[in-house]
Amino acid sequence: MLSETASCLKAVSPLWPHWLSGETLRRLSAHGAVSRRQQPQRHFGVSLRHTAKIPPPRKPREKVDIPGLELITYGERMHYVPGLAKPVNPDWEKDFKDPRFYKSPTLHDMPLYKEKPCYIFNHRTNALEGVRQALWLTKTKLIPNLPPQLLSLAEKPANQIQDQDERVQNAIKHARFWDTTVERPDKLKYSNTLLHNLLHLCATLQSSHPAFGRRLTAEKYSLAATWTRGEDVLQIRGQNGFLLSCMDPLAQVSGKQEVMETAEHTLETFYPVSPTIDLQKVHVYKENLNCTGFIGDYPYPHAHTLYFQEADAGHKLQPEQFRAKMLMFTFGNALARAHKLYGTQPQSILDRPVTVQAVGTNGRIFQFMVFQLNTTDLRGDDGIKNQVWLEDDVELYDFAKVRPLIKKKQVKVPAGLSGYKPEAFSKFLALYLHGAV
Amino acid sequence: MTMALSGLTGLFRSLTLCSQTAAPSKLGSLVPCAVGQCRGFLTTTSLEQNRTLWKQIDKYTVRPIGMKKTGGRDHTGRVRTHGIGGGHKQRYRMIDFQRLHYEDGKGSKPFEEKVVEVRYDPCRSADIALVAGGNRKRWIIATENMQAGDVIKTSGVIGRMAVSANEGDAYPLGALPVGTLVNNLELLPGKGSEYIRAAGTSGVLLRKVNGTAIVQLPSKRQVQVLETCIVTVGRVSNIDHNKRIIGKAGRNRWLGIRPSSGLWQRKGGWAGRKIKPLPPMKSFVNLPSVTAK
Repeated sequence: MLSETASCLKAVSPLWPHWLSGETLRRLSAHGAVSRRQQPQRHFGVSLRHTAKIPPPRKPREKVDIPGLELITYGERMHYVPGLAKPVNPDWEKDFKDPRFYKSPTLHDMPLYKEKPCYIFNHRTNALEGVRQALWLTKTKLIPNLPPQLLSLAEKPANQIQDQDERVQNAIKHARFWDTTVERPDKLKYSNTLLHNLLHLCATLQSSHPAFGRRLTAEKYSLAATWTRGEDVLQIRGQNGFLLSCMDPLAQVSGKQEVMETAEHTLETFYPVSPTIDLQKVHVYKENLNCTGFIGDYPYPHAHTLYFQEADAGHKLQPEQFRAKMLMFTFGNALARAHKLYGTQPQSILDRPVTVQAVGTNGRIFQFMVFQLNTTDLRGDDGIKNQVWLEDDVELYDFAKVRPLIKKKQVKVPAGLSGYKPEAFSKFLALYLHGAV
Repeated sequence: MTMALSGLTGLFRSLTLCSQTAAPSKLGSLVPCAVGQCRGFLTTTSLEQNRTLWKQIDKYTVRPIGMKKTGGRDHTGRVRTHGIGGGHKQRYRMIDFQRLHYEDGKGSKPFEEKVVEVRYDPCRSADIALVAGGNRKRWIIATENMQAGDVIKTSGVIGRMAVSANEGDAYPLGALPVGTLVNNLELLPGKGSEYIRAAGTSGVLLRKVNGTAIVQLPSKRQVQVLETCIVTVGRVSNIDHNKRIIGKAGRNRWLGIRPSSGLWQRKGGWAGRKIKPLPPMKSFVNLPSVTAK
């Protein structure tokens, strides 16, 4: 009841007849229908007696429905007659569409309902087993460090930026200290700023590398890819980080020989936990849903690198689960591209493996990943596997403190940026240069 | 009903005439019409108080749920239990006491689960363990030496030979050897465990008598239950709970225990040490069994 109504009624309670208690008022419900949830007894009493325990409400007489028996109701007489049945009005369905009173169909009535469930990996999925689970779901072999040919790319002086270290340190200082009006910016903000600054730095090499002009970044695009793994249908859907896409595809990283050798590798299982744990189970889904996020004639169709942030708008992920998310979405992009190029039928080996890279960060620690999709035949556990080169937990700097850490009157960590490590940025640059050099 | 309506309409007429009451125009109510269905007051706010709604979630989740403290008050608002109030905020983690809880669509075979994490639970003295098996995760009461990474087995099968059970596994009483330490005892098969759940407690399986088993509870009382009731093997975790020293009054207040009344009261017949014989064995055998849905 509205609070004003309640206060008004309380004020006038002495004026009311004694039989008009909470009992009668209770039965006068607004719509005349039985409320689904039993409403509590309302008390308008102001004396202490009324706050004692009230007797429980009497259960209404059980109405027996005998089919074929015609009920004599008082509906025709237009007034209540004791002894006659209450008229039951048929449910009236609107014959026009009214968006204010739309009732969605039940689960089984939905047009896309299927008996077989689909397990969806979305941007908030927190995979229990982390990278192992993602490797099993994507039928991938893990190789610990980045491929050596990539790392050598950044060593060449022609590929380095002028005053690289100083400019990177300035970029970090801007993200961590200068880009705020409060004392220190929060993690979501500074990791975003840092990523954009580093990307901008890499792009300044465009004067010497004209191939950088054939690239474009895109944010908030929705990816969808479907595949079957054993008996289960799996889908990956959602908006991940931002994407650097290119007009030309990336060359494959490992040779034909290595690809054929992956057939001997066995995927790691983790009994008793099922690999589809923590994935969202749905019965309403579109079969064979594959979408790169862009329409057909987008001029930059090939995904080059994905940039992920750990502290993503509310749901933070642990490092292991974050790497799993990176792997799944990189695989999703590669698979969507492969489905578009080669069709949705599973192919045991692709002539031109699709390569996609990924970088994930939390503002200080970076994870680098290069994924190569060798096969779309993911149903069985044997055969050629995909490959991923993963380098995890590369620190860009040790500390970026606004106020120095002082223990026992000695400065343990000075204020400002300390412990800068140039290897992390050289790897970042190497991933950026890959495909353009 | 018509009397009520006429009474109400009369009242509202009197309300409009009466100048002492608050302005009736503030009432956001519909005047009930005299003929046909009675239409009462149009209410737009929720009538229920949010006091116990946090408890009425029906879908099982692993995520902790925010609790509302009652302070020892019951639904009338008066103190029913003294000495409760304040204390650190707590979140309730839904514990699955029905250990033999098969997953949907997985059949009725014995299954294994992996312990993901063992952690402190503010709502009880024992520690709880997050176990994952198949496609689901659930919280259970942890046993003494349970650690992350262990694999625990749950079975509902009673074989001819007694099983040599490891700690943390759950079996029916009929499948365990006599003399095992058990915890989380069910009285009726399928109902969920209600006994021996506190920190460090354990019961002893005394004997098995054609279709029933007799267990000694931690209070030395003996209980006869059907042999298909599931129990967990071992002692409950956090065994040093009874040896802890509170140390200061503040720690009790953090636990939500308010000081008792300082009034000196003559102790009656309830006080003092009592030496009584053990109560007779309680039997839960002839009651119909309950299968929890």
